[in-house]
Amino acid sequence: MTGTEFVASRRQSVLAVVFRFQSLFGLVAVFIAAIVFSPSRNGELLFLTGDNLFNVVRAVSEIGIIAVGMTFVILIGGIDLSVGAMLGLAAAGSAVLLVENDFGLIPAVLIVLAVGLGFGLLQGVASAAFGIQAFIVTLAGLQCARGLARIWSGGQGVAIAYGDGPGEAPVAFSLLGERTFNGLVPIPALIFVVVAALAILFLRGTAFARHIYAIGGNEKAARLSGVPVKRVKIAVFGICGLLAALAGIIHAGQLNQGSPNDGLGYELDAIAAVVVGGTSLAGGRGSVVGTVAGALLLGVLNNILALNGVDTNVQLLIKGLVIVVAAGLQRLRPST
Amino acid sequence: MRVQALLGVAVVLGSLVACGTTSENRPGGTASNAPCKGADGKYVIGMSQANVAEPYRQRMDDDIRTAAKAVPQFEVRFTDAQQDNSRQVSDVENFLTQQIDLLIISPNEAKPLTGVVKKAFDKGVPVIVLDRKVEGDAYTSWIGADNVEIGRQAGKYVAEQLLPDGGKIAEIRGLAGSTPAKERGDGFRESLRGRKIEIVVSQDGDWLREKGQEKADAILKSNPDVSVIYAHNDPMAEGAHLAARAAGKQDALKFIGIDGLPIPSGGLKAVEAGRLSATLIYPTAGKEAVEAAKKILVDCQQVPRTQTLKTQLITKENAAQVYAKENSGN
Repeated sequence: MTGTEFVASRRQSVLAVVFRFQSLFGLVAVFIAAIVFSPSRNGELLFLTGDNLFNVVRAVSEIGIIAVGMTFVILIGGIDLSVGAMLGLAAAGSAVLLVENDFGLIPAVLIVLAVGLGFGLLQGVASAAFGIQAFIVTLAGLQCARGLARIWSGGQGVAIAYGDGPGEAPVAFSLLGERTFNGLVPIPALIFVVVAALAILFLRGTAFARHIYAIGGNEKAARLSGVPVKRVKIAVFGICGLLAALAGIIHAGQLNQGSPNDGLGYELDAIAAVVVGGTSLAGGRGSVVGTVAGALLLGVLNNILALNGVDTNVQLLIKGLVIVVAAGLQRLRPST
Repeated sequence: MRVQALLGVAVVLGSLVACGTTSENRPGGTASNAPCKGADGKYVIGMSQANVAEPYRQRMDDDIRTAAKAVPQFEVRFTDAQQDNSRQVSDVENFLTQQIDLLIISPNEAKPLTGVVKKAFDKGVPVIVLDRKVEGDAYTSWIGADNVEIGRQAGKYVAEQLLPDGGKIAEIRGLAGSTPAKERGDGFRESLRGRKIEIVVSQDGDWLREKGQEKADAILKSNPDVSVIYAHNDPMAEGAHLAARAAGKQDALKFIGIDGLPIPSGGLKAVEAGRLSATLIYPTAGKEAVEAAKKILVDCQQVPRTQTLKTQLITKENAAQVYAKENSGN
């Protein structure tokens, strides 16, 4: 290797690192910008107060959990538009089971998670076995989940009261809206961390993960090399539905209510987090780490714009630009 | 790959753990009776709006903006929760981080916002709740109108003016599960009791003009003997009028709505133009909210815990006059 070649390849690998950690660099940059632009009161930067940072993480956690599931689906080159409606279905379902049917905490949670998993698996079957595009299947799934949610809850938001009596949910469920460790860390954020950590571990080293990346990279090649494409696809949609249901349970616990209309537009926020996190919508390339960073980046951005009292419409504009820039950066990424 | 994963976890944990040391105690402390600094103070008011997609809520924000301009001590910041309870909880939390002096909130729904409103109130921030309520008593003042009474008056108008000899009515309701839809429906039925008037069909129009049009279109086909359409808001009533016009039945039917917004696209103009027979004013409470805020922060006075605003029946006789009056002081 000549000197220039060495420098060139060196530069190539530096670039590769930069792009691989694109969303993390982005997150750090936005975080620093947030500190710089933070309003202050009595010499204290409002953005950096513990309470505020934990509010950011709390606000991000539901979308973050959904986005982790979405990452799996997008990695195989699919998309899941049903997750917001699924969140509504799970939130309404949790409230109905706990309050109206007097189920215990664990059975109620398990049933709702099973509904999410089952719904996701069904979508996977429709997509994989019948070869319908994921976009269409989950668009239909969105409508079905919303309809089911309204039927299950009688079309109404179901308020959750806590206690031991009939018509009351177990007090433990209200923990989802609480904070722990000195009253600072919101429980939903802890769940998000656990989900993200499990997903990161899962996507490293398991054969299933290699299959996911293989399908996203080139489905035909994957099939020819013996990857059980259909099964992997079905499982991936199942995971996504399961995580959306988990987010719905947290949603109901945080808000003390399960409403069938909740989660409107959450699918788009989740997709935005995945895209900002550097996962390619074409599939095959990306990571949960990126998604977590992407979700946090958007959360920090939301927060600092709000703290500065930026007009809501301008906020939408800025967030839109960030998403476009993040997606644009991927186009520059060296194809290694 | 491994480094990437570890970094990711570190970032998440870092942002979770790194900041547990600071606290948000306000120097001097602020009990709920001590936010008044009088006329010399400067006050930041946070206004958390449920959404600005509905013209009614846009007008509420505008009313607050206009009224606050007259109080030099006030700076009002607005947020729009876009009909999302979670987002509205975050909006209020961000206001608390900004250490606002007073919170005005028009909740998207009662139950999910109760907790964060209580949090604000417990921190010593006076809270004025507009339109929809929150649960419990952790707020300073609620200002709004009585939807059951508005429904009652709508029913009375239909029974006495439009159908004194009885007849058949179609109802286009607001979003299923929302309290105003229930209350506007309940009050209406109360007034029709014992009369020869029948609500033959009742459909959800989700507060939207296009839904009102779509539902009315179906109603006119399936129930041609309906002579009055009662919509839970003016946009849906206007939608119903559009459907009737498309079917050539606009003169055979009467339409009544609710809200009576004094804006060019609002119900007052629709009544004045004769598209709607009547509407009932659902006051936004924006002006009253700023008045209450001024009493609390500037004048150091108590405000009533509940302030129920009156409605007014608008017909062709008074529509133009009320429109002019509502827009005169602004």
